[in-house]
Amino acid sequence: MEKSEFERLLKICRLDLDKKEKDRLKDDTEEILKYFDQISKVDTHDLRPAFHPIELQGQTRKDKVIRFDKSERLLKNTKTHRFFVLGPKV
Amino acid sequence: MSSLRDFSKKKKPEDYYVNLIQELERINGRLHAFNEISHDVDRGFPISVKDNICVDGMEATASSRMLKGYKPPFDATVVQKLKDAGFSVLGKTNMDEFGFGSFGINCISPARNPFDEERVAGGSSSGAAVAASIMKYHLAIAESTGGSISAPACFCGVVGFTPTYGVISRYGLIDYANSLDKIGFIARSSEDISDVFKLSVGKDGFDSTCADFKPLKKEKDRLVIINQLYERLDKGIKASFDRSVRRLSAKGFKIGYEDVNEIGYAVPAYYIVSMAEASTNLAKYTGFKYGEQLTDFSMDYNSFFSASRNVFGEEAKRKIVLGSFIRSASVRSMYYEKALKVRRLIINRLKEILDGSFIISPSMPVLAPKIEEARAFTPVQNYSMDVLTIPPNLCGFPSISLPSDYVGGLPTGMQIIGDHMEDLSILSFGKEWEKDFIYRFKYNIGEI
Repeated sequence: MEKSEFERLLKICRLDLDKKEKDRLKDDTEEILKYFDQISKVDTHDLRPAFHPIELQGQTRKDKVIRFDKSERLLKNTKTHRFFVLGPKV
Repeated sequence: MSSLRDFSKKKKPEDYYVNLIQELERINGRLHAFNEISHDVDRGFPISVKDNICVDGMEATASSRMLKGYKPPFDATVVQKLKDAGFSVLGKTNMDEFGFGSFGINCISPARNPFDEERVAGGSSSGAAVAASIMKYHLAIAESTGGSISAPACFCGVVGFTPTYGVISRYGLIDYANSLDKIGFIARSSEDISDVFKLSVGKDGFDSTCADFKPLKKEKDRLVIINQLYERLDKGIKASFDRSVRRLSAKGFKIGYEDVNEIGYAVPAYYIVSMAEASTNLAKYTGFKYGEQLTDFSMDYNSFFSASRNVFGEEAKRKIVLGSFIRSASVRSMYYEKALKVRRLIINRLKEILDGSFIISPSMPVLAPKIEEARAFTPVQNYSMDVLTIPPNLCGFPSISLPSDYVGGLPTGMQIIGDHMEDLSILSFGKEWEKDFIYRFKYNIGEI
């Protein structure tokens, strides 16, 4: 993988690494991709992808209002100002 | 007798739970099995919960700094069901960060093997296996994506059960890879697991991928060894496995051998699928909703998001990078879609064998390595260690790891794989094995 391509990938991944970590991760990525490449040898032309290991029927629940009385406890996990979760500017 | 029934019949001293917790805390200082031990337990059979499964009011960190401090205000469905049946949660168990590992070392303080504390406990459900191995009466709720129940159960000399994909609700599980994650159990006997498994299955309105459990109870007397897996075994493990096979043969099981040429592709296919799914799951950690929280809101969103992701461990970052790459439009069909087709190919081939047999192999190809040895493995060496546990996990087949021998004082394990929905059949196999094979333990905390 070209250095510029790897840098672009890190940007997409929102990973800001120092040089040492970046070099190690690039080496690992190349080693692992080489390992992954072996699956190209398998003949799979007449097979459907198995998105799940068993066939599942998608199930939905009824669209009805249920009482949720744990909002305050849920919000204890975050920094809030009045009823707003604080976060960075978008 | 199952330890569940034995425990309920025995009269316990008044200070039983206080003493159990004190003794556990003392030993946990060395073995690092638990991330949190509850002080509120005063009744019921003690269970533990892997730290990526939610328990109301207890921290759920998945052993990651990213989730430090996160306390869910609800129970995972499996926890709720067992609480309703009278079980009590003793604590949250240690693991590889988000389940990313086979040796339990991808976390701040790795759990240590009770048989030799210099060695790994196995991963990713490291603490769950140690908990079951050190306590006389205990059942650990664990989770497996590619072998995270069988590997630690094997190294710690306990029984690890991974059910058919989807039969236990995953509501309340912190995802690793959605098409692979399964909640299962680790305990000291197949009978204990069988009792708890029956309480845990069933559809759940909170998990749209939860399957109806329609048990297929087949008594099979043919066991198949896959030649290509047998060839991959370490010499000592091979000799130990051969002894177990002779024991099974003497019990009346017929042993067969089959070639499965595709099996070697299961490991790369598994890692492609799991990394693709993990990289999307990890994107929800933004550094301000829960867990790790940055406070410098003057940063723009991208800088803020990148800064918060710095707390991920090395393997998590590897999965983000590789998972994002293999999902990208230019290579998606070459890696991700191809891996899903390879999964279909392996499911089809293994189903042919499982139609009249169980598949049998050791659980791990090596004995538990020393922690420093495991740290020195390259990523590919690491992934290759999962060669025996990945096939059933990739294909969603139920599997059980049973202690099968002791080599140099360390336990080895034997893995039995059944067809989808044959969970009760492989648990029955485990009960049959346990009739005349006595498991050994180094500790018996909580003995009455």
